[in-house]
Amino acid sequence: MALKLNVNGEAVAVDASGDTPLLWVLRDHLGLTGTKYGCGGGYCGACTVHVDGSATRSCQLPVSTLEGKAIQTIETLEERHPALVKTWIDNNVPQCGYCQSGQLMSAAALLDGNPAPTDGDIDAAMTGNICRCGTYVRIRAAIHEAAGQRAIGGADR
Amino acid sequence: MNAITNLSPSISRRHFLGASGVLVLGASLPARKVLGQSSLATTFEPNLFLALDGDGGVHVTVHRSEMGQGIRTALAQVVADELEADWSRVEVVQAQGDAKYGDQNTDGSRSITLNYDRLRTAGATARLMLRQAAAKRWGVDVATVTATNHEVVHAGSGRRLGYGDLASEAASLPVPAKAPLKKNGEHRYIGKPVTHVDSGNIARGKGTFGADFSLPNMATAVVVRCPWLGGGVKSIANKPTDEPGLVAIETLYPAPSAGPVFTPLGGVAVVADDTWTAMRIAGGLDIEWTGSPTQSFDSDELRKSLRDAVASPGTAVPGSEKGDVDAVFAAGGTELSATYETPFLSHAPMEPPVAVADVSDGRCVVHAPLQDPQSARPMIAAQAGLSPDKVEVTPTLLGGAFGRKSKPDFALEAVELSKRLKRPVRVQWLREDDIRHDYFHAASAQYHRAVIDGEGHPTAWLQRSAFPSITTVFAAQAEQPAPWELEMGFSNLPYTVENQRMESAGIRPGVRVGWLRSVCNIFHAFSANVFADEMAAAVGRDPIEHRLSLIPESGKLKQPGQPAPPGHELDFARLRHVIERVRKLSDWDTPRPQGTGLGFAVHHSFRSYVATVLEATVTNGRPSVSNAYVVLDCGTYVNPDTCVAQMEGAVVFGLSLSLYGDIAMKDGAVVQSNFHDYPMLRIGETPATTVELVPAQGRLPAGVGEPGVPPVAPALSNALFAATGTRHRTLPIRA
Repeated sequence: MALKLNVNGEAVAVDASGDTPLLWVLRDHLGLTGTKYGCGGGYCGACTVHVDGSATRSCQLPVSTLEGKAIQTIETLEERHPALVKTWIDNNVPQCGYCQSGQLMSAAALLDGNPAPTDGDIDAAMTGNICRCGTYVRIRAAIHEAAGQRAIGGADR
Repeated sequence: MNAITNLSPSISRRHFLGASGVLVLGASLPARKVLGQSSLATTFEPNLFLALDGDGGVHVTVHRSEMGQGIRTALAQVVADELEADWSRVEVVQAQGDAKYGDQNTDGSRSITLNYDRLRTAGATARLMLRQAAAKRWGVDVATVTATNHEVVHAGSGRRLGYGDLASEAASLPVPAKAPLKKNGEHRYIGKPVTHVDSGNIARGKGTFGADFSLPNMATAVVVRCPWLGGGVKSIANKPTDEPGLVAIETLYPAPSAGPVFTPLGGVAVVADDTWTAMRIAGGLDIEWTGSPTQSFDSDELRKSLRDAVASPGTAVPGSEKGDVDAVFAAGGTELSATYETPFLSHAPMEPPVAVADVSDGRCVVHAPLQDPQSARPMIAAQAGLSPDKVEVTPTLLGGAFGRKSKPDFALEAVELSKRLKRPVRVQWLREDDIRHDYFHAASAQYHRAVIDGEGHPTAWLQRSAFPSITTVFAAQAEQPAPWELEMGFSNLPYTVENQRMESAGIRPGVRVGWLRSVCNIFHAFSANVFADEMAAAVGRDPIEHRLSLIPESGKLKQPGQPAPPGHELDFARLRHVIERVRKLSDWDTPRPQGTGLGFAVHHSFRSYVATVLEATVTNGRPSVSNAYVVLDCGTYVNPDTCVAQMEGAVVFGLSLSLYGDIAMKDGAVVQSNFHDYPMLRIGETPATTVELVPAQGRLPAGVGEPGVPPVAPALSNALFAATGTRHRTLPIRA
């Protein structure tokens, strides 16, 4: 079945069964492998993408529900959030890096809705993203730093 | 060579011109293959680890696997430092598994320890040859030219040449037997906080992990495995035949139920055009399995056996006995005794095991997140029915490993399926597969008994440890813990005790056990540090003051069994130093509010010294850690920021296992399945973490990836005792 999706601002047609989770459409059908499989149950956040601007677990979203919605992935995050990506690199946040796409997508959605998050705001917004390497203290620092840069430099998108 | 390259972030947008004139773009093209096809005249490759091309591009081959410990960056720093290379011109090439590199087994926190000197020499040799090439061209004495930041300079005349301009002449020179190394203080990158070479790709979703590698015409397999070890497929009640996207359903042979168990577990492989189709069909299969001796395995029964084992005499550790423990116990006095318990753990790296294999045209190519591509190579060759020289094994980035990916069983599954189906196959383990079919960190029990004097000093100390040995995976008859397992924090106890005995016991488990980040140090450091805290509490002494009084001022530990390699003996002064530093760092002597406790632990492992203080409370019945203070002495360090990051991560890893880690088996099957019932620490539970790195440049480099983990659980237990008066002797801690 051909499904019409809007991914990273482009209209794409995908030949996949409607029950296929968005995660696997992105990875296997569209070659967008930045979005990761971590648990398949919505517990870990490695598969986080934006659907109409909201951080969403793509492993839990049947692709049939997504026609007409704007899907954005890690591959184009830097265009919208250059300061966030830069602070992530500058702070050496990633260790193994596998969860980091999801962490960044959750962080970006947080900053979109809350330009100056507190530690509590960060903990609440990022609680769905597990990092087994334990980069959490740097994630907090990088989000604060990106928020500060956005405040100084204006809109980061 | 046909390795995948990942450009460092600083040059990720630079298009570099390969020596063949082919423009190589981006992060994941086989640049070295392009170079390999070109005339070698313009490429200078004085050794296995370094190549310089005519345009000045430096390619450092890293033969260890990257799993978050920053090794691709650190090893490149070492080579680039001695080469005096411009870091922005350095590209990292991932080595395939090949005996020519020497040890490639990325475990034991020893990549820097093993390779520091040889990679410095690799860089220094090339630097000397570039100086020789310039001196020859200019007709001057080599002693009058220097190499600095990608240029050779003749100070007398002011002449200078870039490294690229010298590549072909350097390539024509004989490789010198010796090259001078830099002195401390001359380092450009060693000891400096260089940003990781893969961070840019990762932050842009462009890092290539196991599942991100693909080949044309590749199919994806999901394997349904028997819940118990050694079971085979008896029947499939509802085997589908012509579902859209289904490629094949293949039965894999079961692994033996008792070691050696490095081979695949067997099961039913559902091979499909895409992952979801394979997952969906695999999830619906109704499979009947054959029985095996492990079908009745119950972890509660094993743990009771471990408790029983440490309640009676075990096998004495050779050379561990000092004085007469029994006589002191018989004489009486203030006696303490306690039993400690820890459960099985699953590694649960964020990337579940995954591998891509292509067996075709008499060759086999594997791309997978493997910690030891070299030892995997002959096993892959055997599975493919080929000689090892027909096999190429290339590690991708490892999305975490923690010891799990030192076994290539998942790659062997992909090889077997590719061989049968005559097309490339990716095997994708699901999270449930990962948690249930791991090489588990062993459950354990320890018993400590001591008679203490008025200062809390043990006049006699008996300790026992019982756990299923990792050697049970290697040999069907193995049962007793190996000396190297006991040397992980048990037989090398660093405290002064006149009368001492150590005993161990083993047991064969009904599951595969393996090494998990810091291995036996986890339970040995836990019991020894909590028991020491109990000694201090029994006499009302400050735990740090008390601990320091148990450690000699100077000298080296003489441990039972094999002595440590020269320079890596446990040095009492260094152990004391990290304790004294963490006391200061944590502001230990300043009282905390009622209900808040400070807990201390120290441990020497992987040749490094780590002291940790945690500040904890119990809130709504749950332990909560607000601050962590860690001091690390790892000898010479290459990238201090990586060292700090590894300690930060170790606190999180250690708290996950302290608060949540608990794998149980019933009827041979693992009870837990995913992160809802095998939880990990999350960001809101993560303490503010302060790390101090002991300046020790010039000492032998020691481990960093693992030694931060062992002190965490005992520091938490001790902090909760300080906060609440309740002792926690079993992990995970449930307040």
